[in-house]
Amino acid sequence: MIAFTDIVGMDLAKQALMLLAVDPSLGGVVIPSTVGSGKSTLARAFADILPEGTPFVELPLNVTEDRLIGGVDLEATLASGQRVVQHGVLSKAHKGVLYVDSLSLLDSSAVSHIMDAMSRGAVIVEREGLSEVHPADFMLVGTYDPSDGEVRMGLLDRIGIIVPFTPVNDYRARKQIVSLVMGTRNEEDTQDELRMLRGIIGAAREQLHHVSITNEQIKGLIQTAISLGVEGNRVDIFAIRAALANAALGQRTEVDDEDLKLAVKLVLVPRATRMPEREPSEEEMQQEEPPPPEEQPEQEGEDENAPPDETDSDADEEQEETPDMIEELMMDAIETDLPENILNISLASKKKAKSGSRGEALNNKRGRFVRSQPGEIKSGKVALIPTLISAAPWQAARKAEKAKKGIKTGALVISTDDVKIKRFRDKSGTLFIFMVDASGSMALNRMRQAKGAVASLLQNAYVHRDQVSLISFRGKQAQVLLPPSQSVDRAKRELDVLPTGGGTPLASALLTGWETAKQARTKGITQIMFVMITDGRGNIPLAAAVDPAAAKAPKEELEKEVEALALSIQSDGIASIVVDTQMNYLSRGEAPKLAQKLGGRYFYLPNAKAEQIVEAALS
Amino acid sequence: MAFPFTSIVGQEEMKLSLILNIIDPRIGGVLVMGHRGTGKSTTVRALAEVLPLIDRVKGDIYNRTVEQYIEMESGVKGAPVLKASDVKTEKIPVPVVDLPLGATEDRVCGTIDIEKALTSGVKAFEPGLLAQANRGFLYIDEVNLLDDHLVDVLLDVAASGKNVVEREGISIRHPARFVLVGSGNPEEGELRPQLLDRFGLHARIITINDVAKRVEIVKLRREYDENPEAFLKKVVRQQQKLQKEIVAAQKLLPKVSMDDSVLTDIARLCMALGIDGHRGELTITRTAHAFAALQGDTNVTMEHVRKIAGLCLRHRLRKDPLETVDAGEKIDRELAKVLGEAEVAA
Repeated sequence: MIAFTDIVGMDLAKQALMLLAVDPSLGGVVIPSTVGSGKSTLARAFADILPEGTPFVELPLNVTEDRLIGGVDLEATLASGQRVVQHGVLSKAHKGVLYVDSLSLLDSSAVSHIMDAMSRGAVIVEREGLSEVHPADFMLVGTYDPSDGEVRMGLLDRIGIIVPFTPVNDYRARKQIVSLVMGTRNEEDTQDELRMLRGIIGAAREQLHHVSITNEQIKGLIQTAISLGVEGNRVDIFAIRAALANAALGQRTEVDDEDLKLAVKLVLVPRATRMPEREPSEEEMQQEEPPPPEEQPEQEGEDENAPPDETDSDADEEQEETPDMIEELMMDAIETDLPENILNISLASKKKAKSGSRGEALNNKRGRFVRSQPGEIKSGKVALIPTLISAAPWQAARKAEKAKKGIKTGALVISTDDVKIKRFRDKSGTLFIFMVDASGSMALNRMRQAKGAVASLLQNAYVHRDQVSLISFRGKQAQVLLPPSQSVDRAKRELDVLPTGGGTPLASALLTGWETAKQARTKGITQIMFVMITDGRGNIPLAAAVDPAAAKAPKEELEKEVEALALSIQSDGIASIVVDTQMNYLSRGEAPKLAQKLGGRYFYLPNAKAEQIVEAALS
Repeated sequence: MAFPFTSIVGQEEMKLSLILNIIDPRIGGVLVMGHRGTGKSTTVRALAEVLPLIDRVKGDIYNRTVEQYIEMESGVKGAPVLKASDVKTEKIPVPVVDLPLGATEDRVCGTIDIEKALTSGVKAFEPGLLAQANRGFLYIDEVNLLDDHLVDVLLDVAASGKNVVEREGISIRHPARFVLVGSGNPEEGELRPQLLDRFGLHARIITINDVAKRVEIVKLRREYDENPEAFLKKVVRQQQKLQKEIVAAQKLLPKVSMDDSVLTDIARLCMALGIDGHRGELTITRTAHAFAALQGDTNVTMEHVRKIAGLCLRHRLRKDPLETVDAGEKIDRELAKVLGEAEVAA
């Protein structure tokens, strides 16, 4: 066990956890970071700096609904003949910490329950004849690796602090971490440091009641939130609390600029949906502007109901009030990080998922066992224990009844009413991953078709529990415009922006699609279909994303890359179709070749309508 | 203790929808959809404090009125004939039942009381949340995440106003009329069309982008967090005032009337918007009556209709995902046409 004070680096994450220790009403801290950076070590060490006896509960990833919420403890109930109530994991974390490692891999119903508990500060148990309220006011500390997928926004909205993502690659710090793990540090030093830190936090908790924040400062934070396009109003309170807690840590009575900056950095920036607009300064007019990062396309504000003149004046004010603060922070926040060894494509294990038939969203046969419910014996797997529990109270009465009628009974009399069926949650809809070639002159056209197809698939997504994701590729690498989603609203919004032109990074598209598919698989989606809308002429290698000099590659190499990827994708059991929208009659047959490599089907639809694409995908 | 309803800044659409449903529960509930962190649940959970009181039979688990009670209990074979004078009553606030996502079906519908069966061998019915919600509100936060299976149960009960439980030779029917209130974020998943259609009103909720309002929200919230009791004391007057307005509107409602010409205009509006069935017209008519009553008017005009048309129809328009025009704008445009107003140049 490594102590909080022994952990090297990750200063921002440490600061975040200290703020939470000072003011638990910040709700929690989320730490995104790559594997092996020590984020879990840090999160577990968080208990070190909390007051003695604070509960620290770790949430198992595969937690079942009844363990999470609590309910009747069947064994104890049967043994004692009286109903014994078991508290769930959420209420065990009351007044303490709920720690979730790999937050983004958590099952979506578990996420919903956590959100519900956070919004009430309690768990409402209405299960198996039980009706109770268990207090569950906890701090959520979550870590996750962004390459495993994103955490649901609804949950993040209830967690005050999100540490900006920074991959750890400071060599010296790493070395020290290693030496720590090897146990070369002095235990006594550690204990002294921890005591000191606990003292500082205790004092800050006292100080928190004496820190004030001015109206102007509150306005500044709110304006920043608006200009970053953060959704919802809950963040305002979190940002203020973070600033106050930081001032309290410094034993100050007033919030200063540093506190505000930290609040912007830890609370607001990670939730930004757009870059604040700003007037370039004189100096910059003379210099060349750096190109805007492609990570975050600008989005139109969503306040359709606000009169336009009002928003304009807002924007003007922002520029007067908070430009320096934001600019500085923005630069920090948008350090794009590229995955290393992007070229190390591991050959996927040769497993074939069944593709073709579309399963049902809810069923009684496959998937994860969620709960039991009354049902017919024929309609699924019988949940034995719940069935017996349900039959138990009636045994005496039934045996007596049968005896009256002179019917002999076995050891157990079970009636059809007792039967409980196991219910499984199986999100076995299909995930359609659209990959749209956004390079060249046909890009706009393809995009329109793809958008139409996405929209029309989503129209019926509910029926089949299907999801749709959209990846566009052009220039140096592919970009996920729409992560797997069922939301028509979101699709409409995310697909509104589309730069076109540039090279065709086909391999990057396949890789991005494959990664998206793998993430979806961890969340229980089994069936995946690639819908590629392209002429199949890739001309940009994977390496171009990391090294501009590598953009020129010989044709054979390009083909090798695509082929290796296509094979892996095929052996991963992913179905594909390639829609060739090439107008040119003298097509060189690149797209059919791509379809062949993917083991998929090929459609030539030069004037494809959205409906035709959907038809092809569903055929 | 909940944050008080009258201290909630903005989100007028949602507040109005809820109040109209208190005035006339037949409007058929509210679906509140929109951005995260905009106070959806806070508002619904604040509702209980401003609801008027109702009379029920003392201690009755189904919150029945004396008439309902006598009618149901006298029907039982061998039961004594009951007289209204024999039945004790009490005043309770309109119930607001908060359905958690993890609820199991037996707790929603009610089930056999296991404990009684175990300890005394008696087969007794233990009512569930649907019984508690009778004559009140049933609230489902994150309604789009609720188990399909439970959604189906709720839809059946909401449609019939009755809950039927049959098990172990016991058959229980009890009244379950409630106003269904659902909230959610459309990004978390779309709502089934069948479910969407069941809600009378559809309020949209978005992030407030007015700095002054947001400062106000923050101030009130911080003051409340600091000392909830003192805060509630300060606003008790406003809370009572709102409650009085609601009660007055409830009393006025039976006296509110509507000319045939208004009804014709409503029908034309629904036709122009291509809304199927009569549910749209019915909802507008009821909601407009309730709105007029709230305003203290005894005659419904198209001006009342204009204020509530969006709430009633927004979710009933055919969904076209590529449509760039907002549903609300569409409704306004058609309304202007129906009323023969010159179209405002877009």
